Amino acid sequence: MELSADYLREKLRQDLEAEHVEVEDTTLNRCATSFRVLVVSAKFEGKPLLQRHRLVNECLAEELPHIHAFEQKTLTPEQWTRQRRE
Amino acid sequence: MAAGAAEAGEAAVAVVEVGSAQQFEELLRLKTKSLLVVHFWAPWAPQCVQMNDVMAELAKEHPHVSFVKLEAEAVPEVSEKYEISSVPTFLFFKNSQKVDRLDGAHAPELTKKVQRHVSSGAFPPSTNEHLKEDLSLRLKKLTHAAPCMLFMKGTPQEPRCGFSKQMVEILHKHNIQFSSFDIFSDEEVRQGLKTYSNWPTYPQLYVSGELIGGLDIIKELEASEELDTICPKAPKLEERLKVLTNKASVMLFMKGNKQEAKCGFSKQILEILNSTGVEYETFDILEDEEVRQGLKTFSNWPTYPQLYVRGDLVGGLDIVKELKDNGELLPILKGEN
Repeated sequence: MELSADYLREKLRQDLEAEHVEVEDTTLNRCATSFRVLVVSAKFEGKPLLQRHRLVNECLAEELPHIHAFEQKTLTPEQWTRQRRE
Repeated sequence: MAAGAAEAGEAAVAVVEVGSAQQFEELLRLKTKSLLVVHFWAPWAPQCVQMNDVMAELAKEHPHVSFVKLEAEAVPEVSEKYEISSVPTFLFFKNSQKVDRLDGAHAPELTKKVQRHVSSGAFPPSTNEHLKEDLSLRLKKLTHAAPCMLFMKGTPQEPRCGFSKQMVEILHKHNIQFSSFDIFSDEEVRQGLKTYSNWPTYPQLYVSGELIGGLDIIKELEASEELDTICPKAPKLEERLKVLTNKASVMLFMKGNKQEAKCGFSKQILEILNSTGVEYETFDILEDEEVRQGLKTFSNWPTYPQLYVRGDLVGGLDIVKELKDNGELLPILKGEN
């Protein structure tokens, strides 16, 4: 089971056709494998938060059982553009 | 100095390091008659190193308890079998079966759990008369351990003889709620129960502590349609989860409870909910492994905490945070959507 920021980033980018992915390894703060991810994808358009998070959860279904603390933020490209402008 | 070295040696021997799945299974078989505490740890996690020290101290205080440390990532077969998703995690075994679990570095809780399990176990008898008396009491307790109790070879998941396998299949088919005891794990029970119940073979099925019989009798009861009236039915897990998620309008499934959250995410979500002033109830998934695993499938959501409003999943901490930031949380909690 490979659990690295690079591996997760690439998997999310491909599976979710994301235009931007950030993966932060937060393991050192918690004593157990932990990650925080930000995913920007058009696949999230028109979807409520629950469904967006489910898409990410499904993408990492094999990895999540081995991750103790997982945090995520899902944005559409429009939301990402707006957020960066602020 | 020699005394110090000997003491250090004793401490080192007191906590056994397990390096393979085979070694772990062997240890489970060897230590069926005493409490076995397993620490799933990682050398890179400082809290795990601390907990190893705590365990070494406990090993001195409880010489009859077996303490084991197992590097979670070095023995993935065992870690995955018991769904170890973080370190440190402690599992407690008796009679080769898991009886308790502790997630996280909670030294007082670990100490408490060890003490509780030690005091709930029988101490080794000193005389033959005590031996007989204690065995009889123990068998009575075992046969009454659950409303429906099956003594079999192996476990329901891995039966180790054809008759035990057939018995489990019948019980599952009829949705009968039962617990089981692997007679291979304890020769004393295996032989003692034959005398206690005057029944020479296994499997043996007990209801309310009374022997119903072996496979042949269960088959006859099935054929005569009496089996369902004799044995207690299992409330289907899905029904149970539906009831639980609707137990309150706002229902939080978390690690710990309102007074004491046992993980950072659960703690944060409590703070958010408390700040809304909305009434809610909690369920500690660390106390119920069936709910913990079942709810993940029921709601297609792999992590905790999980927040429900009127039985519908809202999401985890990240979603609740976003809803709060967007000003949408309060209307959702009040059911105004």
